[in-house]
Amino acid sequence: MNVAAPTLLKLEQVTKSFPGVRALAGVDFDLRAGEVHALVGENGAGKSTLINIISGVLQPDSGCCRLEGELCDWTDPVAARKTGIVTVHQEADFFPTLSVAENIALLHGLPTRKFGFVNWSAMQKTAQKVIGAVGEPIGAGVPADRLSVAHRHMLQIAATVLRSAKVVVLDEPTSALTSVEASWLFEQVARLKAEGVGVIYISHRQEEVLALSDRITVLRDGRKIWTKDRQDVDGKLLIQAMVGRDLEASSSELQPRPGSATVDAGQDHVVPRLEVCDLNDGKGRFQGINFHLDAGEIIGVYGLIGAGRTEMARAIFGLEPVVSGRVLVDGEPIKIRRPQDAVRAGIAYLPEDRLREGLCRGLTIRANAVLPTLDRWTQLFRPSGETAFSYSSHPPHQEPWIKRWSLGLLANRPVEKQVTRQVVQQLEVRQRTIEQPISQLSGGNQQKVVLGRWLLAAPKVMILDEPTRGVDVGAKAEIHRILRQIADRGCAILMISSELPEIQRHSDRIMVLRSGKISDQWAAAEVTATQIAEAALPGEKASEQTARDRNQSRHRTARGVGEWGLATVIAVLGVWLSLTSENFFSWSNFGNLMAETALWSVLGLAAATVIVVGGIDISIGSLLALSAACAGLLFKLPLPPEISIPLAILAALAVGLAGGLLNGFLALVGKVHPIVVTLGMMIVYRGMVIALVSGRQISSVPEAFGWISIYPASGFRAAIVLGLVVSLVLYVIHVHRRAGRHLYALGSSASAARLVGLSHAKTWLFAFALGGLLTGIAAVMVLSASMQMQSQLAKGWELQAIAVAVIGGVSITGGRGTVPGVILGAVLLRLVNLALVRWEIRGEQVDVFVGGLILAAVLLDLFLRKRGT
Amino acid sequence: MKRERFVGHRISLLLPWLLLALSLWLVFSQVERPAALVNVGVQWARVGALAIVMTAIILTGGIDLSVGSMIALSSIVMGMLWNAGWPAEVASVLAVLVGGAAGSVNGLLVVLGLSPLVATLATMAFYSGLALMLCGGEKITKLPAPAIDTSQVAGWPSEYWVLALVFAAAMLVVHGTRFGRWCYAIGDNPIAARFAALPVRRTQWWLYTASGLVAGLLAVAYTVRKGAIPDAHQGIELEAIACVVVGGTLITGGRGGIPQTLLGIVVIANIDIGLFFLSGRFKFIGAEARLMVVGVLLIVVAMWNEWLARSDDRLETRNEGAEQT
Repeated sequence: MNVAAPTLLKLEQVTKSFPGVRALAGVDFDLRAGEVHALVGENGAGKSTLINIISGVLQPDSGCCRLEGELCDWTDPVAARKTGIVTVHQEADFFPTLSVAENIALLHGLPTRKFGFVNWSAMQKTAQKVIGAVGEPIGAGVPADRLSVAHRHMLQIAATVLRSAKVVVLDEPTSALTSVEASWLFEQVARLKAEGVGVIYISHRQEEVLALSDRITVLRDGRKIWTKDRQDVDGKLLIQAMVGRDLEASSSELQPRPGSATVDAGQDHVVPRLEVCDLNDGKGRFQGINFHLDAGEIIGVYGLIGAGRTEMARAIFGLEPVVSGRVLVDGEPIKIRRPQDAVRAGIAYLPEDRLREGLCRGLTIRANAVLPTLDRWTQLFRPSGETAFSYSSHPPHQEPWIKRWSLGLLANRPVEKQVTRQVVQQLEVRQRTIEQPISQLSGGNQQKVVLGRWLLAAPKVMILDEPTRGVDVGAKAEIHRILRQIADRGCAILMISSELPEIQRHSDRIMVLRSGKISDQWAAAEVTATQIAEAALPGEKASEQTARDRNQSRHRTARGVGEWGLATVIAVLGVWLSLTSENFFSWSNFGNLMAETALWSVLGLAAATVIVVGGIDISIGSLLALSAACAGLLFKLPLPPEISIPLAILAALAVGLAGGLLNGFLALVGKVHPIVVTLGMMIVYRGMVIALVSGRQISSVPEAFGWISIYPASGFRAAIVLGLVVSLVLYVIHVHRRAGRHLYALGSSASAARLVGLSHAKTWLFAFALGGLLTGIAAVMVLSASMQMQSQLAKGWELQAIAVAVIGGVSITGGRGTVPGVILGAVLLRLVNLALVRWEIRGEQVDVFVGGLILAAVLLDLFLRKRGT
Repeated sequence: MKRERFVGHRISLLLPWLLLALSLWLVFSQVERPAALVNVGVQWARVGALAIVMTAIILTGGIDLSVGSMIALSSIVMGMLWNAGWPAEVASVLAVLVGGAAGSVNGLLVVLGLSPLVATLATMAFYSGLALMLCGGEKITKLPAPAIDTSQVAGWPSEYWVLALVFAAAMLVVHGTRFGRWCYAIGDNPIAARFAALPVRRTQWWLYTASGLVAGLLAVAYTVRKGAIPDAHQGIELEAIACVVVGGTLITGGRGGIPQTLLGIVVIANIDIGLFFLSGRFKFIGAEARLMVVGVLLIVVAMWNEWLARSDDRLETRNEGAEQT
């Protein structure tokens, strides 16, 4: 390593705090060109916060950051990326419905050719280069959600390497890779080094850190412990710095848990509280899990991320399915299919992700605390005495006749308040009142409430998944104390943690999971931190196997019904109709069919454009009527047809565009779901139509206008040409223009779109404006057909438009759909209409089939997607 | 910094109460005989009953657009059976059951994983088309006289009794039982609700089924009064949702309640009736203008509620940062 290499990145005295937690305290960090600088530390040490600050996700409270001498003043990740800092996160956001090639291209912006058309061939070339760099058989056109996590990761890394960056941050890059893929990664890192790029490498894995890095920085509890050159560091020093104390002395230094019994091999006469036999998850995330837990015992489960600890815990609690194996509580085998079964058996689970999986943020402390145990607090009348809860295994005493009376249904607020206050007191939750929204508490206190929620259930077995993650030191100690108390009163505790000191200090036994299997178990007092840490590291063989299973990219081809399926159905229906009706294939009938298809293609595309971006518009019918009304009214002006016709057409288009834009704007700015906005606007537009039209005759429409009609007097149907032109233009926009591709990107994943710098507002408004414009075009076609206006024109048409889109393969969740598909959908719907006419089903009775078809299409889509995962 | 959050609640009720005052003034300054209001308000009692059930559904983050079609379907079934000679009581019970069945299909679709929006949009079309098919597009108004005249009970039109019944039941269930607590939790965070061992899918299914049952009940009341007219119930879902939103319940779920919806019903009903009386004097206010006002109110109040909720949340976002170490 070149000592004289210039400093690329320099962070000075960076501090960042969150309420109750000091994430980083005065950290200095610097990165030189062409060096691999490893950042090491346990969970909660501050690594992620530091990385988030470097990549622009967070702003530091104090301290400064310089890139090549210039102050880093970016406020979002996109700006950071533009200056040359690229981060490959552990959990990468991607666009599931877009192809691999497009995902790669969107990372740095879609390439364009002349006149702003998307350069597909350049995209393909880049994709092939990236895939070639990865060296795995990945199809560039495959939708990204079919790739395995490992492949997605590797592609992102390869794309980053091929693109010139100044600083590359790799966050746990090998967590999803086998050793073979990992060595590929190391080659890429070596390439980056050779090109003078500075690499920040975060990893739990000692041997990687020692093998790859030039310098190592250790963080612990938000502080930098040291930065040393690689040659001055060995494994022991590393762990010591991470864990914070000398290892040899650790066993005796550790206070054995008061009252804890050492593991005695001969205790078979006591029935274990929890026994897990041969638990297997069919997907390979954990296998052959075998362990038992006695009453009053705390077992600490250590392991790396991805080792399968959380999956195992969730399976025991009934949140995930289990393929084989048994769970016994107090010797009784339990069939656990849903969390309710687990709770009834006396098992409780404190989830890993407090915010997403634990809290109902809008509810009060009390509401959160009593949520799973509401049936215990139901009494018809105020209880006369104290309703105490205890940590014992029996639920609190309750008058049986009252429980029977109320059927366990009535919630009793005074009792809830009472028990909540008790639990809040015993856990020392710092709050103002229990009627406070839980979101106002600090992380540690929130965690205590979630813990208290399960204490109220008086569980026999308590599974805690990272109970002190993101919790300040004071609350951490309190939680540990509480756990000890609970265990002392008979509860069996399974504590999953990634912090070695926590595991060592607060468990009776320690179990390590590695790649889905239990690699070792000891009594806590008889093992050192090094042994635990080493048992967690994947050996070559173990990680190969499970990772290889996980790496199977699904190469299943086309999802069954696609355009071919649709075309087949249409062909069959068409043939049947022509056979059973006499003059089906007469020119005029066929012409009518084609012209109607043209109209409904346009409307279907209007609906589809909005659905693709993730919205929906049920005001299409009313907006069409409004556009038509405005155009029709223009004909009342004393103008020659050469002027009035183009003017009317323009008016219709303008009104449609304005209406669509208004819908999108209200949904965007008011942050109200488009369904509510368009529900309201549907009425408003219809009201305007009635106001404009009622009592007035739009009779002065010049004949020439009828030229565009669907049912023209002359034989030539300009409507068909118009429909084809519109479809072609839409096809070009959707496939070959950046604005169109952005529609699909936003609909595919709004969060990924934000990360790559897509303008949410512009894309959203573009979709709605385009949809409105298409509605205006349809209005012109309709007006020219009828040559007059009624106030109920196009009532209910939005439903058919949505049906056309959905049948044509547009996914209701957004991000997927094609223009040819929509056209086929329009054809199918017209044929269905024809068939219905033959069966004498007219008017709005058709809606039965429209609704049925929508349901069928959406259910099919859902089914196929579920099968694919 | 933890600020008092209840300020948010007080402000959020301010708008509906203002609207209420405005609407009451509007009505009572125009009406000469308050007794006439009872008959005019029957349709709003119908909307109100639907809005109350819709509140529970919206609390869980869902929506039911098919309520109007379910009323139509139940009404047609009852009308056809009654016309064919079945006793009115049996026809009524069957109509309610048909409504329940329709609602349970909605519930099933949602439980399977469809978004409630799409599911009920599709079933809205399906049920109304089915109703039209069953009756051949003809309305059934010449119905045999029932044994007991149930269009009025104790001097009040039966729709008011349905409203009272539904209101009482909803108050009990949503604000007095575990089931109601589950609704709030599911709307606030469906993942956390599942992790807290709540029966999320069962709860949702029951809510949609209840919606269908109430629709069936209303269909019976309507059919007895006016007959089985298939296209008389279009647009009622919009009015119901507007009542819920104007009352202060968030469309995204997790916040709101039944008393709020009652307020919303009274507000919207009064505004509509007030405008109706005004239209006698001012010709430009027609039926469509009244409906437009409802539409605009829906959007404006929804935006206002969301803004309020977000300004509440902004006070608390600082607590989220702690999770990122």
